[in-house]
This record gives sequence, structure tokens and C-alpha cells, in this order.
Amino acid sequence: MSVETAVETKTIFGSEVPQPPQHGAAGGVMRGLNFGTGLVGGIGLAAVAGWITAILTPSSASNASFAPMEPTYVYLAVLLGWVVGFMLGIGAFVGPLRWVVGRDVTHADAEYMAGKDLGRKRYWKYTTDHKVVGIQYLIVTMLLLGFAGLLAMLIRTELGMTWTSLFTPAFYNSMIGTHGIAMIIGMIVVVSGPLGNFIVPMMIGARDMAFPRLNALSLWLFVAAVPMLVSSMFMGGIQDGWSVYQPLASQAPVGMLGYQMTIIVFAISTAVASVNLMTTILTMRAKGMTWSRTPIFVYGIFAASIMGLYAFPFFQYSQILGLADRVFATSFFDPLNGGSVWLYENLFWLLGHPEVYVILIPSTAVALELMPVFLRKPLFSFNFAVAGIVGVVALSGLVWAHHMYMTGWAPAANYPFMLSTELISIPVGFLVLVAIGTFWRGTAWTRLPLMAVYAVIFNKMIGGVTGVYLSDVPADQYFHGSMFVVAHFHFMLMGAGLFGAMAGIAYFFPKMTGRFLDERTGSIGLWTAFVGFQITFISMFVAGLQGQPRRVLDFDDQFNLSNWISTIGAYVIGIGMLIFLSAIINSWRSGVIASSNPWGSKSLEWQTETPVPLENFPVLPVVTERPYNYGVPDPYEAELDSIDEDLTEKAGTK
Amino acid sequence: MSTSTFPVSPTTGEPISTIARRSRLGLWLVIVADIAGTIALVISYTYLWSLNVNGGWAPPGATLTANQTNSTLPTTPSTATFAVEWPFWGILLVLIVATALMWFGYRSARSGNHAGLIAGAGLSFLVTVAVLVFQWIQMSTFPFGAGDGAYASAVLLLCASNIFHLFLLLFIGMGIFMRARKGLIDKTNWYQAQLASYYMTWVCIAFLLGAILTTFLVESPNTDPAIFGTFKQQ
Ligand code: HEM
Ligand SMILES: [Cu+2]
Repeated sequence: MSVETAVETKTIFGSEVPQPPQHGAAGGVMRGLNFGTGLVGGIGLAAVAGWITAILTPSSASNASFAPMEPTYVYLAVLLGWVVGFMLGIGAFVGPLRWVVGRDVTHADAEYMAGKDLGRKRYWKYTTDHKVVGIQYLIVTMLLLGFAGLLAMLIRTELGMTWTSLFTPAFYNSMIGTHGIAMIIGMIVVVSGPLGNFIVPMMIGARDMAFPRLNALSLWLFVAAVPMLVSSMFMGGIQDGWSVYQPLASQAPVGMLGYQMTIIVFAISTAVASVNLMTTILTMRAKGMTWSRTPIFVYGIFAASIMGLYAFPFFQYSQILGLADRVFATSFFDPLNGGSVWLYENLFWLLGHPEVYVILIPSTAVALELMPVFLRKPLFSFNFAVAGIVGVVALSGLVWAHHMYMTGWAPAANYPFMLSTELISIPVGFLVLVAIGTFWRGTAWTRLPLMAVYAVIFNKMIGGVTGVYLSDVPADQYFHGSMFVVAHFHFMLMGAGLFGAMAGIAYFFPKMTGRFLDERTGSIGLWTAFVGFQITFISMFVAGLQGQPRRVLDFDDQFNLSNWISTIGAYVIGIGMLIFLSAIINSWRSGVIASSNPWGSKSLEWQTETPVPLENFPVLPVVTERPYNYGVPDPYEAELDSIDEDLTEKAGTK
Repeated sequence: MSTSTFPVSPTTGEPISTIARRSRLGLWLVIVADIAGTIALVISYTYLWSLNVNGGWAPPGATLTANQTNSTLPTTPSTATFAVEWPFWGILLVLIVATALMWFGYRSARSGNHAGLIAGAGLSFLVTVAVLVFQWIQMSTFPFGAGDGAYASAVLLLCASNIFHLFLLLFIGMGIFMRARKGLIDKTNWYQAQLASYYMTWVCIAFLLGAILTTFLVESPNTDPAIFGTFKQQ
């Protein structure tokens, strides 16, 4: 055993800490690596891998139905090359390699990697600081949602122009599928990514996430995954909806590989992020932060992480199997050779349903988190809120087959699944009751974040009620595959999920950027989008009730009117969202400077200064009370109050 | 200010025991995700086994003791048949040896036997290489190809998952060995060796599940399967 003599030490928070030997300048190889080198690595390796594969593949290679295999192999090689090259180029492998060879990271290295003194450059690097990762997540997610939103506008334009067709059916289908999965991915990360990373460690009084390097890893895997999805649009697209049912997925053009690779990589990103968030929450809460003193938002993020952790692998494997069927001619889903498409549907929905709660719970938790602040009273029954979240998690894995009532799989199982689906309304109901109870007799300080919460509560109600109709097997015979389903889940995903995320972004904006999100433009954008949203999707319920099938670009004239209305509504949403976006951009650049705790919140993330220092808290905080003790007089204040009262009485009698 | 006497993390100054606790929890959670993925494979295997869609579970050349359900296929004469069972167990056995060696290394580290740690980790790595070789040989000599029905697909994917796990183990084993030699794992700082042992133990369980499936759930019980058309592109 080689013992270093005369070890260097470094002062960290007041104690001398021995350091491993420092090799070169702090940060080592990472100094030269950034997003640019990632792009070079990714595109370079993709090109090389594609080129070599093209050379090596004999032109006679074909599959069982005589379709040439070369495009499949080349596209797959390009995608793999992109992911590996990009991660290599940005420096994702440096840490693991240093671990293997035993060149441990020093404090100086770690500070460099956390972005210390790097200024804006740190946003372009494999930075480990959770606050940087949060901002990076926010930007990437907004880009992804923007892309998916653009597709939505094109889809609505096509559906609204009932007199002509803008796109070919194949391209239209590919837009539908890409829009769907891009939105789903974007919505999965929109709260847990930006706010989970930026806010949660501060909210629990920690200095960073449990595994800062894994934090960067999850972000950059996400960044690597997204372009593959976009690329598939140029390779024939995803033509069978976001759920890419088999056997259509196997018959689809090679673009399907883009979807499969996206999911495989994104699933790793989600697993890494979930492990990190859960470990952080379980082991790094401040002294005194018992479970009953842990803010509800932390519960929400924790719940989403559990569900992502256990459910995402099923989705990932469904895509691995699909990829194997396509590339290696296995037959998991090919009935001719013993495969089953129901296997696909089960694996898919084993994730698919928990994933809707991965989206809903964090945004509900944002709403519950900021209500006490703006109503200046404690959350109405914190315990019920926790029970609601626990109940949703517990039932989330037991309801998946309500998406398969009409597929013919196990008809006898429909009724148990109907029961479990309807049961889940109970814990969801808890959450709604907590919200209503908190509003009850509260004095609302209606600022932009609270306005978004109003929208969430309204939309969630409609989405939830229509969901109960869908979970009813006889009713679903009529509704399944219709626009009614589409309207239902948009009320949930966009109405509750996205508006909830907007609430969270507006609320935490001052902490994240040091400035207020402009209330005027922000609220104009919000309410415009809200009104547009109601027009679009209420009208879509009508189309669904009339019987308009989803994912079809030419339809009967009887549906024209509701589609025209929906399209007009969609443009209103688009305008509203652009206004909201402009509020974000303008306020970020030149908004009103906010103090460190502009909402007068009691939770820890607001108690540190803004901009938040690298280590969050110079001295780690200690928690001594429940999170939402607004308006609960503490003895000292009560005493002061009673003195005040005397004074007023005197003033009154005068 | 005093120089810490107990081992601390060079980057955050926290005691190693804190880092170890955190990492252990992180590892358990990673294993949860890994278990979910393995369950997805087990579901795929057992589901297709139980359905035997179109009688296409067994490789086309297999002789079945039950009704010859796979003969309903438009068969081309084929020699593809079920895999021999013992290699699954043989591979598992060798992996268990590698895992035991890692455990030995870890226990040695804790008791201050540094040579034992290095030997355990190093040998564990070498034996894991052997497992990888055996797994590779098995996979490339199966009496069936990827296109020979659902059984073939499911078994090949189980083996691919094994290979993926083995590559991870090689990376981890190499790291533990190199770090042990550098003195970065020792009597006061052994949690990484512990985590490696835990993870290897879980991988043994995953291999065991595969061996159980491929030994006890071979011929499909469904001798009257559903018959569907094909969706292959014309
Ligand atoms: C009270 C709660 C809910 C109930 C009872 C419910 C019920 C259902 C049912 C039965 C379906 C299947 C309809 C069909 O395909 O025929 C469905 C579809 C869907 N739901 Fe919900 N749901 C609820 C909440 C949510 C939430 C919170 C989200 C998302 C955040 C969501 C997103 C979706 C999506 C995306 C689909 C369509 C999937 C597809 O076929 O593409 N639902 N819902
Ligand atoms: Cu569902």
C-alpha cells in the first residue's frame, strides 16, 4: 500500500481536509470540454460509425420481408455514435475513468466542476452544481416543449383546414406521434428537472444533491436523447402515435429507431435522476427536518421519483425488445413466430399510467406548496396531502390495463382494473380537498403564481371527472380511440401539468434568476392561454362525444364546426404561451430585482441570499417547526399582539 | 482548526461514513431500477411461454413431448432446438465464485488484511472475465438463431442482459482492484468494496432467475394456442 507522505490539506467549512494529489490545473481534462466539444464528438462519432457500418453491411442484407437492412443498421450506428460521442465529448466519462484508475477528484477539481468562477460558461459545461443543472433543465425543457408546441400548431392547422390537406397522411401521423412523445418527455421533466434540481436541495437545507456528477449525467443524457427523437422525423417518422403500438411499430419506417433509442437513453437519465433525488431527500435533510416538517413539494418530487424508478424500466425494455425485433429479427411482438402485441401493450402501460402521475403529482405539489404562502395559512391537513400522495403512488402500478379495455386482452380483467382506477380517485380526491380546504376562508394574495394555481384546480377537476368516465368499461367502448380521450388527457397533462409548472416557475423565478417574473405580461399570457385552452379542449370533448376518431386527418363534415373552434382556441393558446414566454425572457434579462424572500415564505430555500451562493448555505440551517406555520402565533408574537391590541383599544375609545 | 483524524471526503469534508451511507442507499435504488428491468424480461419470457402464440414459442426443430404445436407453422425444415440447460447453471456458478471473491476482498479490507483485499478484488475481476467468455461462448453456440421463435428471442435477450451486467461488473471490479492497490480502499474506507459485493450479489440473483426460467419453463404448457395471421410487410 503506497502511503502519500505530507498530504496536502484544504480548508472546507472550517476543517482541514486531506487532499488526494492534484494533477495539473483544477478540473483537469474537463477544462477543455463543453457542449461544443460534445457536439463535435457526437456528430463526429455518428458520422464515422454510420460510414463504417455502411461499408461493412453487404448490400444484400435484408429482413424476412426482403426489405434492405442497410438503412436500419446505418441509422442505428449513427444514433449510438451520437450518444456515445456526445457524452464522451462533454466529459461524462472522465469521472468514472478517474475513479477506476484511482485519481480521485480534489476539492479544487470539484469546485471547478461545480462551475466556480466560470461565469456564464458553466451553463455550457458538464457542471455539477445543482442550481446550474436546474437552469439547464429549464432551458432544454422549454426548447423541447416549444418544438412539440410548434407541431401542435401544425396539427391543429391541418385539422382546422377541413377543406384541404396541408400534409400527407404519413407526415401528419408522424407529427402526431412526435408531438405526443416530445410533450410527454417534456412534461415528465418540466417540474422535477428545473425545480427538483434547483429548489429541492435548498428546500431541505442541503448544499448540493447527493451525487452531483450523476446530476450532470442525467441532464446531459436527456440532452443527448432529444435530438434522436427529432431526427426520426427525417427518417420516416413515428407514425403510430406516441405509444407506438406493435405491430405498427415494427412495420414503421426506420425512424422508429429514433424513438426507441430516445426512450432507452431517456430512461437511463430518469433512473439516474430519480436515484439522485431520492437519496438527496432521504439522507440530506437539514437537522430537525422530520417527515412532518418536510415541505409537500419535496414529497411530490419524491413520489414522482419512486414511480419513475420502478416504472420506467418497463418502458425501456418494451423499446429494447422492439429494437431487437427490428434489428436482430427476434420475435417478441411478431405473432407469426410466437410473439404477442399484448406483451408490448402491457409493458408500455406498466410505465404509461404511473408516468401520468409522474407528471401530475409534482405539479400538484407545486400548487400545494405555494398556496399556504399566498393564503398565509397552513396547508389544510398536511397529513391528508401526504396520504393522498402515498395513496397515488401505492395504486399507480395497479391500473395500467384501463388503457387496454378495448384491445381484447383479458376481458375478465377489465372490471378489476375499472375498480382500481376508480379507487385512485380517492387519494386524488384527498389532494383536491386539501387544496379547497386551504382556500377555505383564506385571504388570497393573488399574485401570478396563485393565478396559475386557480387554473390548475379548474382544469384538474375537468380532467379528473372525464377520466372517471373513461375508466368505466361500458362508457369507454364508445369513448376509446376518440377525441374525447385526447381532450381528457390534455386537461390533465397541459391543464394541470403545464399550468402547474407555470405556477412553479413564476413562484421560484425570483430565487432562480434574482428577478420577478413580470406580473402584467405574465398574467396576460397565462389567462390568454387558459381561455384558449378551454376553447380548444371543451370543443374537442364535443367532437369526441360526436364520435370523431383521434389520429385521423380527414374526417366527416359533421365534425367541422368543433374542429374549427378547437383550431381557433389553439391559436389563442399559442399567443398566450408566446406572451408568457416573452415575460420569462424579458424578466430574466431586465425584470424587477427581487429580494431574497419576496413572498415572505417560511421555507428554507428562501432563507438564503439571492443569487444563491455556490454552497447554498454558509452555515447549514436547523429546522424547528412545521413548514407552513403562517398565521400561527408563536408565544412571543402573541404577546406583542396583545400589547398592540391594547393600543388599538385605547385608540378606539379615544 | 484541526486536521481530521477520521477519514473524510476530500471534496465535501463530510465523514466517509456519511458518504458511505448515502452511496449505499443510492446503490439500493439503482438495484430497484435494475430489478424492474429484470422483471420486464421475466414477464416477457413467461408471458410468451404461457401463450405460445401461433405455436411459435419453441424453435421450429424442437421435439416436444406435448403436442407438436409449432408444426402448425409454415415450416422450413430446421434443426433449431431448445438450449442445453447446464451452461446457464455453470455460468451462474462461476459468477458466484467471482462474487464470493469480491466478498472475501471486502471482508479482508474491513479487517485490515490489505493483501486479501487486493487478491480478492483482482481474482474476482479475472473470474468475471471468465464468466463473460463463457457467456459469450454459450450465446454464440446456441442451437437456434434470433429468428427461431419466441423462446429463442427471450433466451437471447436474457443472455444479452447478462452480458450487459458483466460489462458493468468488469468496470466495477477493475476499479476496486486498482483503487485497492493505490490504497484508496482500506480498513477505514471500504464502502466501495462493500457496494461492489452487494451489486455482484444482485447480479447473481438476476442470473439465477434466467437459469430458473430456461430450465423449468421450457416447453410451453399451452398446446392449443391462438393462431393469428402475420403482420410482416408484404
Ligand atoms: C382521476 C384520474 C384519471 C382517470 C380515472 C383516468 C382514466 C383514463 C382512462 C380510463 C384512459 C383510457 C381511455 C381510452 O384510451 O379509452 C385514460 C387515458 C389517458 N389519460 Fe387519464 N385518467 C386520469 C388521470 C390522468 C392524468 C392525471 C393524466 C396525465 C397527467 C392522464 C393522462 C392520460 C393519457 C395521456 C391518456 C391517453 C393515452 C393514450 O391512449 O394515448 N390521465 N385516462
Ligand atoms: Cu392511465
